[in-house]
Amino acid sequence: MKSAKMKRRRNNMIVHIILAILAAIWVFPIFWVILTSFRAEKGSYVSTFFPRAYTLDNYRKLFTDTTILNFPKMFMNTLIIAVFSCILSTFFVLSVAYCLSRLRFKFRRPYMNMAMVLGLFPGFMSMVAVYFILKAVGLTEGSMIRLALILCYSGGTALSFQIAKGFFDTMPLAIDEAAMIDGCTRWQIFTKITLPLSKPIVIYTVLTSFIAPWVDFIFAKVICRANADQYTVAIGLWKMLEKEYIDNWYTCFAAGAVLVSIPIAFLFLRLQKYYVNGLTGGVKG
Amino acid sequence: MKYGWRRLAAAAAALLLSAVFFGCGAADQPADGAEKVRLMVWSPSEDQSRDSGEWLQTCCAAFADQHPEWDITFVYGIADEATAASSIAQDPEASADVFLYANDNITIMTDAQALVKFGGKYEQQIRENASEAILNSVTMDGYLYGVPFTTNTWFMYYDKRVFSQEDIKSLEAMLSKGVVSFPFTNSWYLPAFYFGNGCTLFGDGTQEELGADFGGDNAAAVTDYLVDLIQNPNFVVDADGSGMAGLRDGSVNAIFSGSWDYGSVREILGDNLGAAALPVYTLDGAPRQMYSYSGSKAVGVNAYSEYMVPAVELAIYLGSAEAQKLHYELRSVIPCSTELQDDPVISSDPVFIAQNETFDNTSKLQPFVSRMANCWTPVENMGKSIRNGSVTHENAAEQTKAMNDAMNSNGIE
Repeated sequence: MKSAKMKRRRNNMIVHIILAILAAIWVFPIFWVILTSFRAEKGSYVSTFFPRAYTLDNYRKLFTDTTILNFPKMFMNTLIIAVFSCILSTFFVLSVAYCLSRLRFKFRRPYMNMAMVLGLFPGFMSMVAVYFILKAVGLTEGSMIRLALILCYSGGTALSFQIAKGFFDTMPLAIDEAAMIDGCTRWQIFTKITLPLSKPIVIYTVLTSFIAPWVDFIFAKVICRANADQYTVAIGLWKMLEKEYIDNWYTCFAAGAVLVSIPIAFLFLRLQKYYVNGLTGGVKG
Repeated sequence: MKYGWRRLAAAAAALLLSAVFFGCGAADQPADGAEKVRLMVWSPSEDQSRDSGEWLQTCCAAFADQHPEWDITFVYGIADEATAASSIAQDPEASADVFLYANDNITIMTDAQALVKFGGKYEQQIRENASEAILNSVTMDGYLYGVPFTTNTWFMYYDKRVFSQEDIKSLEAMLSKGVVSFPFTNSWYLPAFYFGNGCTLFGDGTQEELGADFGGDNAAAVTDYLVDLIQNPNFVVDADGSGMAGLRDGSVNAIFSGSWDYGSVREILGDNLGAAALPVYTLDGAPRQMYSYSGSKAVGVNAYSEYMVPAVELAIYLGSAEAQKLHYELRSVIPCSTELQDDPVISSDPVFIAQNETFDNTSKLQPFVSRMANCWTPVENMGKSIRNGSVTHENAAEQTKAMNDAMNSNGIE
């Protein structure tokens, strides 16, 4: 008895040590970025891991020195784009998933196959075509660029309905039928019954569609071009690492990177448990 | 209530459509006979920022004052010299009429047929204001493609307390006195040594058919020399900004960089800052001159511009001595106009002297033939292999030949 307990304990200890080492390795780069964001010494290269002096100036500069790289503006641009494309794409994804899970129509199979095939190609393949289409309808100038980016990020999301559909499939059809007998329309079933029952997947969709605009660089770069007032944070951070700016802006770049991760980290922490539920539920179906 | 959604959707669609069709409906009223002109101008953000004096806006306003026959609306956009070309090639029709670009991007834009050739009286005006060497950097197949406003090259910054005027003429003398940091693994810098021993790229830089000549005994001798050089404890590799960091903490006394780092170096060294053209290095007992790549930055005009004459005139104005002088005063952009060479303030600036001396004497025009694209990675790999110790005296000749072969092939054929 005692030896079995000892053995389990020892095994647990080994496992935890390995996990601790792995966790340290994973967290290491993030930790380094955070340290760099508080570093007082300038420049992109340091010979010590820990900064010699700490300061908040990098954050201050990011928000006050706005004549060359206007970070607050970029942050707001990205936030607006993220919020709207999050709302739109969540609606798209859930609607498509619901239709494909509950309704039976001729185009259902072909649509799912098509979505699968299209999903195999990387999105930025269509980049140049998307740019010219947006230009043709006049969305590539001035503040219309924001709308263009929102459309870009939310337009294609209906193709990634699989996880949500899998989740909806696990819900018994009997509930829908009961509601229909009581006189519910499809829309009412969707909003009053299906959605409240599928909080995890709603939240999972919200999360993924909120993150997309924050981390996307390539579409923003192609569509913004010379319109600096429409830049998103991804472009701004990239600019800071260019030859002319890197020596002065490197620590600010780290500060910017930390700030960008805050909204995402906050959302994740708040919605974590649903996220896990959503994924496992989807896979089950 | 039942149709609330539909009504809302219809309203949203109508709003969107009206925005699409009437979005840019500025009033078109000619002001006392002046021709309405809309010019889109791109420049780096520093040229437009309030803190650095709004060079572009100032110049454009001055230009508009000089030309009352045009009622010009300026639209400003941000595109630095290095990236403007790719934005223009992506969609010339929706790009700036006038923009600043780095000369090594010329082919990107000429391939898209988006760059105006200057001719006639305009060409003459440009030629009067610039030296032959600089004009060559924006000339292709005999056509002039831009108004050069500054040279673009790298030179040496050093600490005057460590090196004397005599020391900086020779790399060996410098290495015996202090620590020199060189971007050894960067292929914009490393060829300096190879050029010094007679290696060439595309003949005089425009003869694409000649290819890269970084092979042969003379190149192998340079590789051999570099294997020894990297062993020198006073020679350190500058990568990821380590040179600047070394200068900052005092462990490095000289770095190789360009005018873009002047502000930082000035802050570190203060009055002890020295700037100079490249030194010679000693190979087989004889001095060999190091040569940097050089290029220029120029004002270009979009071939798709609707207002060609105003655009060309503006480009010439932005590259004029007057605009260059203002550029220098506001942002320390080193001027290249021949008119300004004797200006007392400018000609005493150490960076101006170093950059121009480098451009005139110790640099090679960076080729912009399209096969040049194959030349960067092999040289970078050579630098890295020498640093890692995988290139030795024994295999130097063989490795140099491999580098040359790679530079002359695009990796696909």
